[in-house]
Amino acid sequence: MGKSRKIKVQRQNYACSSRQIWRYRWLYVMLIPVIAFYIIFKYVPMYGVTIAFKDYNMFKGVFASPWCGFKVFEKIFKSSNFWLSVRNTLYLNLLTLAVSFPLTIIVALMLNEVRMLKFKKITQSILYLPHFVSWVVVAGIATNLFSQQGGTINNLLNSIGIPSIPFLSHQGWWVFTYVLCNVWKDIGWGTIIYLAALTGVDESLYEAAYLDGATKFQRLLYITLPCIKPVIVTMLILSVSKMMTIGLDAPLLLGNSKVMSISEVISTYVYRIGIERAKYSDSTAIGLFQSVVNIIILFFADRFAKLIGEEGII
Amino acid sequence: MTVKIINGVKKITAGSVILYAILIVLVFVCLYPFLNVLAYSLSGYNSVLSGKVTFYPIDFNLDAYKEILGKKQIWFSMRTTVLVTLMGTALSLALTILAAYALSRKKLPGKKLFSGLILFTMYFSGGMIPTFMVVKGLNLYDTLGALFIPQAINVFNFIVMRTFFRELPESLEEAALIDGASEVQVLFRIILPLSLAIIATMGLFYAVGYWNSYFDALLYIQNPDKYTLQLRLRSLLFGEELNNAGGGLEGGGTRVMTQSLKMATVAVSTIPILIVYPWLQKYFVKGVMLGSVKG
Repeated sequence: MGKSRKIKVQRQNYACSSRQIWRYRWLYVMLIPVIAFYIIFKYVPMYGVTIAFKDYNMFKGVFASPWCGFKVFEKIFKSSNFWLSVRNTLYLNLLTLAVSFPLTIIVALMLNEVRMLKFKKITQSILYLPHFVSWVVVAGIATNLFSQQGGTINNLLNSIGIPSIPFLSHQGWWVFTYVLCNVWKDIGWGTIIYLAALTGVDESLYEAAYLDGATKFQRLLYITLPCIKPVIVTMLILSVSKMMTIGLDAPLLLGNSKVMSISEVISTYVYRIGIERAKYSDSTAIGLFQSVVNIIILFFADRFAKLIGEEGII
Repeated sequence: MTVKIINGVKKITAGSVILYAILIVLVFVCLYPFLNVLAYSLSGYNSVLSGKVTFYPIDFNLDAYKEILGKKQIWFSMRTTVLVTLMGTALSLALTILAAYALSRKKLPGKKLFSGLILFTMYFSGGMIPTFMVVKGLNLYDTLGALFIPQAINVFNFIVMRTFFRELPESLEEAALIDGASEVQVLFRIILPLSLAIIATMGLFYAVGYWNSYFDALLYIQNPDKYTLQLRLRSLLFGEELNNAGGGLEGGGTRVMTQSLKMATVAVSTIPILIVYPWLQKYFVKGVMLGSVKG
């Protein structure tokens, strides 16, 4: 009985489907430009990655160039500059994450404690602001502040008798400046998500704990943090899954030839050999390597999230 | 300040004093770089050179602004950037709304497939060179179109928008459809008027993105007359040559532009964002939360 009914329903669905498609025809019409966009600008380039496996010849085009297997990859994996860019990418990302991740949560927790609404609003507005400024501007400001010749910070240091610090031209100091600029730009913005999670914490929990004599710190430790743990884990996994990617704005604009051995990351390397030296196959192969590693990390991060009982991210 | 009332006497706790103090320091750290730019741009040439400027302008004058606004190039770049921002934001919003509205309908056959194909592009892409080749192949190279058409839809914004549409009560649409309205009419007459806040947010995100982007212009624009504001700014701040450290970050050798002139350019390219920012702030916070919680 139940089975035959199921079949009937299925058949009905099937019979309906072409009529259903007709019923939603206007929605499909709306999707046409969107689909066209994705095919042309996203999926055709995905086909284009085949030039990583080809002896790409500009005059023959992507299709007609002869295949060459993994020759390009072999060449790249032997290149020390490539591994340097991989190392720098991981290093700069890890360092930025290690500083900005806890700091973002701490700032969010502090903002959440503020009871004066007006003060809170103004503080938030100002903290979000740097996120909306371009990296060109950030790099310009950074030069003005940190330059060894006439930079404001060094002027101040000199005036109290401390010699200038090579913030932008010494490798170690450059990393410091790089992380600082990143933290400055996005720490406030990062608090939004935690503040949202914090408003979701049940007030009655605090009241109960207060009556039980819990101190402020205990309330933070046993109520607030466990309540926002899912968000923390999700954000951490998302950040980890982006480990192999650095947008090229920051390293390209803050970097210079003196710190190249630390500022060259995968994306800037792809740009330099691809666009500046027109080695299309090599550059594409590196980009592909990066994408594939990203997907592998993402997959494992997602598995890990589910393993510890959090929602996945894919 | 957090005020505790103990035995009817208001008392400010030490903890809250520390809290507010730290936050005020943070606010200062966030703001100071901007103040620094303003101070430099409004100071006299000699005061800047002698390193006296730190917090406020010395020998206040508007010479740098006069000079920068007297340059034709800046106005060309401004025009290009405004054009790209307007056209780009319009195209992006249109495409994002279409995609999000169509794919927010639960019963649309094939919805999962289309959404999946869109989301997949977030994790995997052809990368810089293949995309560059497509743009070249379409004859978009060295045209303004290259600056907004290839990046018209942002997947994150699409997700936020779709989530928003999904949360509108379905009965609204159904009622309109039963009354004989078409899907297109439903979108324009019912959905869009209810979504102005989210549209404003997404519009801001796209507009800021186009305003701030310099890398697409670096990739796709050859003719200096078509430089966008950010690209112009980069070449003014760091010199044309990217690897040229001498004329670049350390600014050694000949100083082509004075520091106040550079900072005035930074200010000019940032002020438009600072003007729209406060008006849209209350919207974008909601938008971000919507996207990040549900995405």
